[in-house]
Amino acid sequence: MTTLNIMVGQEQSSVPVTVLRVEGDIDAASHKTLQDTASELIDGGATNILLDLGGVDYMGSAGFRALHAIANQLSGDDASGLSKSAHLKLLNPTDAVARVIKTLGFDVYLDIFQDKSEAVNSF
Amino acid sequence: MSTEQAFDLSVKASLENLQEIRNYIDQVGARLGVSENVLGDFRLVVDEAVTNVILHGYGDLDGMVEIHMESDGDAVIIRIRDQANSFDASHVSKPQLDTALKDRPFGGMGIFLIKKMTDEAEFRPLPGGGNEIRLVKRGAIPPRD
Repeated sequence: MTTLNIMVGQEQSSVPVTVLRVEGDIDAASHKTLQDTASELIDGGATNILLDLGGVDYMGSAGFRALHAIANQLSGDDASGLSKSAHLKLLNPTDAVARVIKTLGFDVYLDIFQDKSEAVNSF
Repeated sequence: MSTEQAFDLSVKASLENLQEIRNYIDQVGARLGVSENVLGDFRLVVDEAVTNVILHGYGDLDGMVEIHMESDGDAVIIRIRDQANSFDASHVSKPQLDTALKDRPFGGMGIFLIKKMTDEAEFRPLPGGGNEIRLVKRGAIPPRD
């Protein structure tokens, strides 16, 4: 069984940023854990999420469906065109995950950072 | 002279087994001498194919999935078989990579990845029932010094 651990932290730049550090594989068995955790945080008032993928060795299309749903929930009605999400950003994906992000064209929608401070301050 | 090798796994078609299936691909890929980059592709395409079998083929029904992996020179051939209802991948629309995320449909990414990361991807119904997905990746096994 695929297990996914998610640690939630809070950072502050000019706006509050909720950081989700994800560890494990994100597949069709585990992606709901990520989606549900993010959804609960957004329902609880989180408006900006930084997803730290440094501990994710594998992410399949189910993981991207979760990212898609989280980005849509965060953006509400204010997202249009091909601009990048102002409310969901990615931190430190592994090479394997970064390759799939690019193949599926998610780098067009989501900013990707290697440095946490830079990522937090970009919101 | 190359030595062809073949490996088979038969496992219950369940999302709970996806991790075990990816581990199996890692182990067999290493034994076949598959390069690390290609091994990552295999993990992905097999995971996506089996996930489709579980969610769209069997649905709520129980069933098995068989994974066959073999080398053929520098190529690797993977066959995934099930006894599920027919699933016509040609009807799955491509993800719209040039559309705003908000307007982009959720589906189609798995089949897109399978086709993108293999040299051949053939989906066919089996004569006695069930389906076979045949995947070929050439140049998967680098020459040994």
